[in-house]
Amino acid sequence: MSVEKARKRYIPMSETMFYILLSMKQERHGYAIMQHVKELTKGRIRLGAGTVYSSLGKLEGDGLIKSIREEDRRNIYLITPLGKQILHEEAERIAELSSNYKEVL
Amino acid sequence: MSDQKTVLFSVFRHILPSDYENWLEQMAAEGWQIDHIEQWSSVVMSFRLCEPKKYRFVYDPQVSPRKEYIPTYEEFGWEYLGRMASAHIWRMEYEGERPQAFSDQEGLVERNRRNLTAVSISFFMFLTAILAIGLGLGFAADSLSAGDRIQLVIAGGFFGVISLALAYVMLQMRKNLRK
Repeated sequence: MSVEKARKRYIPMSETMFYILLSMKQERHGYAIMQHVKELTKGRIRLGAGTVYSSLGKLEGDGLIKSIREEDRRNIYLITPLGKQILHEEAERIAELSSNYKEVL
Repeated sequence: MSDQKTVLFSVFRHILPSDYENWLEQMAAEGWQIDHIEQWSSVVMSFRLCEPKKYRFVYDPQVSPRKEYIPTYEEFGWEYLGRMASAHIWRMEYEGERPQAFSDQEGLVERNRRNLTAVSISFFMFLTAILAIGLGLGFAADSLSAGDRIQLVIAGGFFGVISLALAYVMLQMRKNLRK
């Protein structure tokens, strides 16, 4: 998928998708992603199996993550350069939101 | 009191995935358990009377899941009961907070859309069959015997009733995509 298409499809991004993509900065499988997000958000976000499975399929299909190997019937995923760029742009957008909010307040 | 209960056409009685899940959960709470779902379970579903249990069920339509589908759910603690057509059924025993397989609204809507797509495909198949019967009766009526014509009319009527039922189901699903 081209960067343009990925931007159109993923920005703005849902909180779930953002955290899943962020977790892919390190090699992880589905369950490890849920644990990482739970830890990162101090238990606020607890991803479900269906959400993780569907999101991984979508991200991999669009080339934002890739499966790098299989371990015990589980795929291990890692973010791709396209995924990194989209994640970075989304983080910048959120930072701008936050900065504008503070400025106006 | 019998320790077996059979429910016919359960998917037509509980149209929405969330309603279907709640119904299975209610049955389990009353002690009616089902340990295996098969292709025909949507038509005939048999429960046996056991100890009441608090289960969370998940109805997940997946036409051709990737090979990590079952391992992913299992790792999250879900027990696979089987599939009927494209719908995979999972359950998890719980106490306290009710577990969710679709933890965000987006995932839930997507699940409901997949279900709507599956029903829409069946609907269009029946519609095509009705059209084919209509064309057959319209263009080849003279070459058909009276018996054949009656059979085709009956088949067309039967498919028509099913199509109407599916149209109603689709309408309900479309109205409740976020549920």
